Amino acid sequence: MTDVDARAAMHLSDASVSVELETQGMTLNIGPQHPSTHGVLRLVAKVEGERVTSVQPVIGYMHRGYEKLSEVRTYAQITALVNRIDWVSGFANEIPWIRAVEKLMEIEVPERAQWIRLILSEMTRISSHLLFMSSYPLELGAATPLMYALREREYVMDLIESVTGGRFHPNFNRVGGVKPVAGGGSTQKKVSQDLPAGFFQGTREAMDRVDSVMDELDELVTGNEMIRARTIGVGVIPPEKAIEFGLSGPNARASGVDFDLRRDGEPYLPYDQVDFDVITEQTGDSFARYLVRKEEIRQAVRIVRQAIDTIKPGPLQAKVPRVLKVPKGQAYVRTENPKGEMGFYLISEGGRIPYRVKIRSASFCNLSILPWVLEGALVPDLVAIMGSLDFVLGDVDR
Amino acid sequence: MGVIDKFGRLKPVSWLLNWSRTYSLWYFQFGLACCAIEVMAAAGPRYDMMRFGIIPLPASPRQSDLMVVAGTVTDKMAPAVRRLYDQMPDPKYVISMGSCANCGGPYWDSYSVTKGVDQIIPVDVYVPGCPPRPEALMEGILLLQQQIRNEDIPDKWSQSDRLPA
Amino acid sequence: MTDSPPDGDAVDDAADAVEAELEESGFAAELAALVAAPLWVDEFDTIRLYVARENWVDALRLARDEAGLTFFAWLSAVDWSTEVAVGEEVAEPDELIDRYEVVCRLSSVTSPRGAHFFTEVPKDDPVIDSVVSLFGGAEWHEREAAEMFGITFVGHPYPLKLYLPDSFQGFPLRKSYPLLSREVKPWPGTVDVESMPEAGGPSTANVEAGDTGGDE
Repeated sequence: MTDVDARAAMHLSDASVSVELETQGMTLNIGPQHPSTHGVLRLVAKVEGERVTSVQPVIGYMHRGYEKLSEVRTYAQITALVNRIDWVSGFANEIPWIRAVEKLMEIEVPERAQWIRLILSEMTRISSHLLFMSSYPLELGAATPLMYALREREYVMDLIESVTGGRFHPNFNRVGGVKPVAGGGSTQKKVSQDLPAGFFQGTREAMDRVDSVMDELDELVTGNEMIRARTIGVGVIPPEKAIEFGLSGPNARASGVDFDLRRDGEPYLPYDQVDFDVITEQTGDSFARYLVRKEEIRQAVRIVRQAIDTIKPGPLQAKVPRVLKVPKGQAYVRTENPKGEMGFYLISEGGRIPYRVKIRSASFCNLSILPWVLEGALVPDLVAIMGSLDFVLGDVDR
Repeated sequence: MGVIDKFGRLKPVSWLLNWSRTYSLWYFQFGLACCAIEVMAAAGPRYDMMRFGIIPLPASPRQSDLMVVAGTVTDKMAPAVRRLYDQMPDPKYVISMGSCANCGGPYWDSYSVTKGVDQIIPVDVYVPGCPPRPEALMEGILLLQQQIRNEDIPDKWSQSDRLPA
Repeated sequence: MTDSPPDGDAVDDAADAVEAELEESGFAAELAALVAAPLWVDEFDTIRLYVARENWVDALRLARDEAGLTFFAWLSAVDWSTEVAVGEEVAEPDELIDRYEVVCRLSSVTSPRGAHFFTEVPKDDPVIDSVVSLFGGAEWHEREAAEMFGITFVGHPYPLKLYLPDSFQGFPLRKSYPLLSREVKPWPGTVDVESMPEAGGPSTANVEAGDTGGDE
């Protein structure tokens, strides 16, 4: 090797190729801006070849300080803030908060308001799971389900918007029911915020559309060999680990934990008057989590169809004083959000402002299992596992 | 330097450069929070931003010309935002979308939120709303396109070291 | 569930049924006896058990193994303090409360049972044992409580900040930590739906929660 130039010599001296190939571990920083993390999540992964030896998620890039902000806002103002925690399913975040306040004030919610809350909650579940259906195959490489699912999601969001005025930050719940009237000030006359004309017909059409797109997506995605090869057996979470880490919602049900707060928890909405199945799978891998969410969309469609046949006219909000003062007490209310169990622990010392609000968000606990489940996984599987856990960074970071 | 200074203000040259830049704005996927869902919806089948040439294709800032800051910027994320902005090649544009990016929004009194992204990077268009509808975002983009059409090329060329507002 | 009267109070009847069932079985009392909690409260469908700091890990272990509360829901802390913000007067000077309470919720995945375990942690010695050995999920919750309140969890394997940047100073969720934006610029929107009460009305700084302002 006499006539090799200086730069090549430098490289040759760096390369250490011996008979057994020695690899060095490398720290891979999957940084806060990355197309397949669901928001600003940073993973510091130590990899050895293609295998991940350890992962430390760094969160907090979306920490907005909800619990501290709740200590300086009135109850109505917090309602407006709370639907931005899990920003994909806006309406569902308000329910446990409002129920906690209503529990402390011991207010009975009129029946029509409960049914409206139920319909909107299930529509939010459809919307959130459709977003999962569009983004999860995209991360695995399939771009078509993105457009199909997003198109149907628009119809569902149209319906939510026709009732509440907002696509996914509705701010529609009031203590004691839902928003009864809009306007009523000096320049606007009062307009009732009841379900608009054409809502039932529009809902039936939209639910038919969602059903048909789920059939299409079933054909496209569920039987697809590549998606199955990438997700079956990948990221298995046994049920004891799921319970220990606080996994809830579709993630836990995919591991065999048969617990759904709509059916088994403390009743918060009239779910006992509708028929639906709770979907569980036994394998606990990413494909199971995908299947559970896919079937939950169909069950949510079923619930909405029954609900719009059951709802009857009535008042929209119970009588509450104009200035809300919640008596002293502590209450915890949890509900089955699309991401899992969301709960609000409200400590009130009387007055217009809560003393302490603790937000138990589903994705925080769902994500805490990531170091455990990613140990020993392959680098391409990282994306498949993270996507199947379906977390939202606003929910994680609050 | 020389070519732009000499010919940059000629009508055909500036029209051509501005026109080509206007209708091929590529933004990199930088959705932070809820407004990111509206950006996705705007790129989706109903509101379809791609017909304007705004394609969310590059995942890297090095190959994009537009940065849509959609969502709350926290103090922990702020250095990353600045670094990503610096990594974009000139000419680059920034749209601040949503009230969190404009001024801190509903979290204006939080201990961890940056009160507006224009404290870190210079912003061209502010789109208000919480979240702004996809149509509002498209209006913001159309405003930006109008701005680009009327740009002065030598000015833009020498502005690569502008300071934040 | 059971068939309920057709309209109106279906949910509340069901809730009452659940609550009655739990009360009849005396679940709260049984649990309190099991974990040797000197005080327990059961109201608003929420069971609270107050255990001593030394018994913290044992109480949670007994609840997990003997009472079937295997699901780790969350762990956090509460800052009970009558001093609200830096520089503000203490509202009731003869009743000075100043302590942290660490609270952990465990629930069951086979029935709608759950309980909150409280333990008192004094402010001059904010140290408590970590429960990461019992529940792996407690790791992140304890990190968050540590950085928000300044409580030290003994035995935690990875005691680094979770949410806040490393350069952050202070413990935000303590009552003595002010929100600086509100100090610098008073919030212009204190107008509520009715006229402001005369004296001691809600100011824009951190209002003590017990302040009721005027009458309804």
